[in-house]
Amino acid sequence: MTTPYTAPLKGNYKLKNVLLETGYVSDERGIKATKTELFCIEVNAGKITKIFPNDPKLATAVDAKGYLMLPAFSDMHVHLDKTLYGLPWQAQSPKKRTVLEMIAYEQEIIPELLQTSTTRAEQLIDLLQRYGTTFARTHFNVDTTSGFRSLENLQKALDSRKESFNAELVAFPQHGFFYTDSAPLMEDVAQMDHVAYIGGVDPYGIDKNIEKVLDYTVKLALDNNKGIDIHLHDGGKEGIHTIEYLAEQALQNPKLQGRTFVSHAFVLAQLPLAEVERIAEKLATANVGIVSSIPFGDLVMPIPTLLKHGVEVLVGNDNVQDYWSTFGPGNMLAKANLMAEIYGWRSEFDLSRTLRFATHNTLPLDEKGNMQWPKTNDSAEFVLIDASCSAEAVSRVSPTMALAHTGALYWKK
Amino acid sequence: MKPIALTRKEFIRNSALALAGATLIPGMLLAEEGGQLAHQKVLDGHQGKKSYTLKNVLLETGFEYDGNGNVIATKTGLFSVHIEAGKIKKISANSTDANAIDAKGRLMLPSFRDMHIHLDKTFYGDKWQAVRRGAGGVKGMIALEQQILPELLKNSTYKAEKLIELLQSKGTAFARSHVNIEPTSKLDSLRHLQLALENKKNSFGAELVAFPQHGVYYTDSVPYLKEAAKTNIDFIGGVDPLSIDGAIEKTMDFTVQLALDHNKGIDIHLHESGESGLKTVEYLIKKVNENPALKGKTFLSHCFVLGRLEKAKQQEMAEKLGAAQIGIVSTIPFAGLIMPIPTLMENNVTVMTGNDSIVDHWNTFGTGSVLQKANMAAQVYGQVTEYGLSRMLKLATAGPIPLDDKGKQQWPKPGDDANIVLIDASCSAEAISRISPVGSLIYQGNIVY
Repeated sequence: MTTPYTAPLKGNYKLKNVLLETGYVSDERGIKATKTELFCIEVNAGKITKIFPNDPKLATAVDAKGYLMLPAFSDMHVHLDKTLYGLPWQAQSPKKRTVLEMIAYEQEIIPELLQTSTTRAEQLIDLLQRYGTTFARTHFNVDTTSGFRSLENLQKALDSRKESFNAELVAFPQHGFFYTDSAPLMEDVAQMDHVAYIGGVDPYGIDKNIEKVLDYTVKLALDNNKGIDIHLHDGGKEGIHTIEYLAEQALQNPKLQGRTFVSHAFVLAQLPLAEVERIAEKLATANVGIVSSIPFGDLVMPIPTLLKHGVEVLVGNDNVQDYWSTFGPGNMLAKANLMAEIYGWRSEFDLSRTLRFATHNTLPLDEKGNMQWPKTNDSAEFVLIDASCSAEAVSRVSPTMALAHTGALYWKK
Repeated sequence: MKPIALTRKEFIRNSALALAGATLIPGMLLAEEGGQLAHQKVLDGHQGKKSYTLKNVLLETGFEYDGNGNVIATKTGLFSVHIEAGKIKKISANSTDANAIDAKGRLMLPSFRDMHIHLDKTFYGDKWQAVRRGAGGVKGMIALEQQILPELLKNSTYKAEKLIELLQSKGTAFARSHVNIEPTSKLDSLRHLQLALENKKNSFGAELVAFPQHGVYYTDSVPYLKEAAKTNIDFIGGVDPLSIDGAIEKTMDFTVQLALDHNKGIDIHLHESGESGLKTVEYLIKKVNENPALKGKTFLSHCFVLGRLEKAKQQEMAEKLGAAQIGIVSTIPFAGLIMPIPTLMENNVTVMTGNDSIVDHWNTFGTGSVLQKANMAAQVYGQVTEYGLSRMLKLATAGPIPLDDKGKQQWPKPGDDANIVLIDASCSAEAISRISPVGSLIYQGNIVY
């Protein structure tokens, strides 16, 4: 498997027939459509340097064929380092494993997985790119079996894709800080420049000590000037306490605000509305975000309530295809679509705002319909989509026809 | 016939070769639609053939079990499949015949069936427009339809054909389509759709439900329904008798009688999720039990009320529906309301799925893929293992799947209709979990692509 894209157009170039959203169309019942127009765009040295009226006759410009330009997509929670994507199909085991049993299982298979993890990470990056994603926040295992090798192999994959993709890294002690003795490894990894976040997982469920684990995590983050992003599947009072305790740490340490996240936080789906609102208020005050892969079925996250209280909500694929789950589409527009369906965001306006979960919050229009992207000097990080507007792209999961990463423009073959 | 069994180890080796650029390498992926991969069409160039042999066809031959009797993988082998006069004529050991069409190792599955869709009133193929629901609930929507249907009908044949092409691209070769019968459309929606189906008859099949979207009595649709019932439609439809017509029995009695008089089936949309919903289900069960001719051809679409009942009541209703042979057609809701589909299936209730709206004034989220519906069901109901995933294929095919529950091969068999997809997957379970791209579709022996 190779990249689905052609060799890039780089440097200084112009595009014509680029469809941009320019406003909303309203009538007495509210917003009913999105206004768009064709433009020319100039890109230079990785930036959008000029946006000017369309000139279909401009011979020196590349034809964008009327495709809609949107900000490129970002996957804010994925595990690029330990995917089975690209290997022969393997369903989840019929053995029902607890998280601790999964740790034992990982200890068994990681040595073999590491042999090909660079190639598989590259293939997964290719899949994400196929659907217009040029950025990921990826967790990578730091555990006593992997050591630093999961990171090293991932870094090789990222290096090989650096012209078209980049990532921020979360050091993820999947086997606990203390349950397996991963704390010393985490101390070392935390000092590495290219690691952006200190990760974690179920301080109660795995290490059986919420405060000890979180104190340690916070200290690592503060000492090394990193953010925090911890996986929390624990439910009940332990789940709640984990969230609240982390929020309290962020309140006391303003350096953590805006870069502390709880991934999954399933416990919020199990609480009465008033309790969710209380916690949402706290998260918003501490500027602690929630990262979700948008579960559905029995467990539906109260994302509208979180948003109402001003909590930052980020979205990612999480597992695409591995021994934890085999259902990840790898497609951020599909995640936004899923959110729109789950939460009933089906009007033109609601669908168009939902795009922000695919783009890490960048949207072409502000709430009033003023154009806010792209602007001159913005990084040339965009996709060309076969859709007439963002709302259609989200509702129809429209195909990505081209993507640009720091100006390098790749067309679908 | 002697299957060429491909062991898992051999399979892995082949796949490793594929990664290295050797045989079995997937063809180039061309485009993505609905967030799913579309695939190079392996049978292109062979359209129009009536009698042909496919070689290198991957068929499922059994399950592989672990020491505890759990299914851990699906056994497959490469075969030749001869197709003639619309039927699967012969399945034999894989051939090297140069005249045979190379299926390139793709998995053969029964083509898919969308058992609840509205082909007659779609925006698909036309300009994008988001849903704008006003006040007034379902009755507000009826008023909206009365206003927009005349315009919609102007090019509804064209749009139905485009929509059929979308379904085909996702591996679907058959649909049960509801078609509006009400005083605004009269029988025009039906006629326009029939024209589209006539144009597609060599590549797509359908059965039709005469659907009084605006009520049987709320708007006087009785004469039109009677007229439609005299045509070759297959089912008498209906929708929320209490909330639209104001009475359960009167509407249901009319529907049942019309079906009996014309030897049709019944397929009622039931969204009512409270007491009236349950009463409607119970009344329909009673009527079907009184009229055994309706058994096996009576269906409730949506039937959300089942998702609102206590577990014990769900079980009771599932048993009653199973006994009356009333099927449930669900779009597999996945948030807020969860349908008790596993309970229904355990009680031998026929459960089928469909896309319902693809893009219209009701909803704009339909992908056109029932494989995607089966994928959602697998996720909602935790069917994540090889075995569980493989069983979900029933939802996409609304009928046969390659292996029975014991792992015995039951499809394809000589004499089966040649309704086939070739899909880029190693087994059904993978196809469901990954919504694998459909590379080819064969309908009644005709190579569609």
